Amino acid sequence: MVGQAMIQTGLQLPLPLLISLIGAMATPFIGILSERTGMKLKEAWFVLVSAASLGGVYQLYNMVKAAPDGVLLLYSWGQAPPLSGCLEIDMLGVYMSFSIAFLGLLVSIYSISYMEHETRVAEFYTLVTFMIAGMFGIVFAGDLFTLFVFWELMGLSSYVLVSFLKQNWGPIEAGFKYLLMSATAGAFLLLSMALLYGLTGTLNFGMLANSIRGNPLTPWTVLLFSTLIVGFGVKSAIVPMHTWLPDAHPEAPSPISALLSGVVIETGLYGLTRLLFVVFEPSVFKLPIAALAVLTMTVGNLLALLQGDLKRMLAYSSIAQIGYMLVGLSAGTVYGAQGLFLHVFNHSMMKGLAFLAAGSLIHIGNTRNIEDLKGIGRAMPLTTMGLFVSFMGLGGVPATSGFISKFMLFSSAIEVGMTWLTVIGVLNSALSMAYYLRVIKTLISDPIDSMKGLKEAPKLMVAVTVVMTLVVILFGVWPEPAVSFAESAAEALVNGFNAYIGAIIG
Amino acid sequence: MYPITFFIVTTALLFVFGLVALTIKRDLVRLLIGIEILFNAANLFFVALSTQHVGMIDPLPQSIVMMALVLDGTVIAVGLALALNVFKHYKTFDIRKLRRLKW
Repeated sequence: MVGQAMIQTGLQLPLPLLISLIGAMATPFIGILSERTGMKLKEAWFVLVSAASLGGVYQLYNMVKAAPDGVLLLYSWGQAPPLSGCLEIDMLGVYMSFSIAFLGLLVSIYSISYMEHETRVAEFYTLVTFMIAGMFGIVFAGDLFTLFVFWELMGLSSYVLVSFLKQNWGPIEAGFKYLLMSATAGAFLLLSMALLYGLTGTLNFGMLANSIRGNPLTPWTVLLFSTLIVGFGVKSAIVPMHTWLPDAHPEAPSPISALLSGVVIETGLYGLTRLLFVVFEPSVFKLPIAALAVLTMTVGNLLALLQGDLKRMLAYSSIAQIGYMLVGLSAGTVYGAQGLFLHVFNHSMMKGLAFLAAGSLIHIGNTRNIEDLKGIGRAMPLTTMGLFVSFMGLGGVPATSGFISKFMLFSSAIEVGMTWLTVIGVLNSALSMAYYLRVIKTLISDPIDSMKGLKEAPKLMVAVTVVMTLVVILFGVWPEPAVSFAESAAEALVNGFNAYIGAIIG
Repeated sequence: MYPITFFIVTTALLFVFGLVALTIKRDLVRLLIGIEILFNAANLFFVALSTQHVGMIDPLPQSIVMMALVLDGTVIAVGLALALNVFKHYKTFDIRKLRRLKW
């Protein structure tokens, strides 16, 4: 018995998806209720939904672990897959949904305090919950059709969330650019679905894995490969399709920047990884992905060096981190995928922490310009400490979680004989420390006049950043649980094919 | 089986038209129409391919196309709402004026 059978033998949904969908639909009504009663009902509801989805992920984890071949297959209304759309959940889906739900919970607590003085808060909570629901759907999807539907759900909510503060021109401009590029990518994704359907006659991942994998390349499969890269690459900000990101991530409200950088772009990367592993052999996509990885991390790091805007710098740093993750994908081994997914979780913590801490600084200091924030660190020691730890993690300093995953990513490239990729990656990592340390130095030097007499951010916001700081350090000195969880996820992706196919064909 | 070459050519042409519209047009609404053309090219391809595999018309692509129509309709609706907001701030629909965010 998986999820909740809403109608007997009818609609079955995994618990996290069910909770966040129902929670999102109920939020506007709770919002009206809390306005009438004057109590903080909607805030409580928002945190409750996020916490319950995290609990649902735990229940799902136990179920997938108990399932005989490690795959849960859920479908609805009579038709069995491959004829109907379905959700197929393996350890990788559980792992990704854990990253999403964990960051979602922390961000939801943070945004209560952050959005306190904004209007339309109930709409904001609704959209955030829908975006999280969309991401759950993507990582649980068992066929491309289901993936596409949830892909658009995530996309639509994120366009509106980026341009949420519509009284300013910045968010509107960024949101429109984001929509234009992402919607074009959506059309490319639809085209790649059509091509896949034309080549194989199915859209189900299990059936796809059984069809064109291992066959020699034809012009059609090359076209399919490029449309997949464009379709997923725009959302996951692979250079040269990244240009929306440095606009959209800084202009969004800080909790949304944390979610977008922490999990949304990684969900895009998840889609790319899953599809490439399902449809192609690793030897096919090794070199193109490696080239994209080099381009992505170099461009991300070089442009981040030039930024004077704190959040914009973090956005470029996200692009660079996507480049590191692509190194693991191009290796194409279990070890590489393990590094990739470990880095997805670690990056969600580190970049989430960086954006939330930067959000606190901006909230108090009222500017995003790094030079204008000079000396604010003395007034806000805890937040600045969090920013410092996250920067160390993003740069890959030992004793933070970023070191572990970067080590795995780069050594996986050596393992498959691509030492040049490792060298470029390590050089990029060293380069990235230049801009991280510059920010820290500016923040803790002598305060300028406008930064004197400030207080620490609201308690709730500080509490969230402190918790995330501790998580980053904890998984740096004791990486065992995260590493083994990521390993089982990578195993399920690379070696669990037979179980994955078997669940469909039976 | 249904002759498919014609549809492949049409899809390719529509895709090129859509991409050209996205590249050279400056009006926000026209850009959104370009996206609509791209989506519909993919939809057409899907419908044409649905005759190719099993002996009958496969219902799966048809249902996907219905869903995709709804989805791209919503995307365009959000896009038009954003375009209205752009007009409020910039007093123009010209995409070239949307370049205040640099780098």
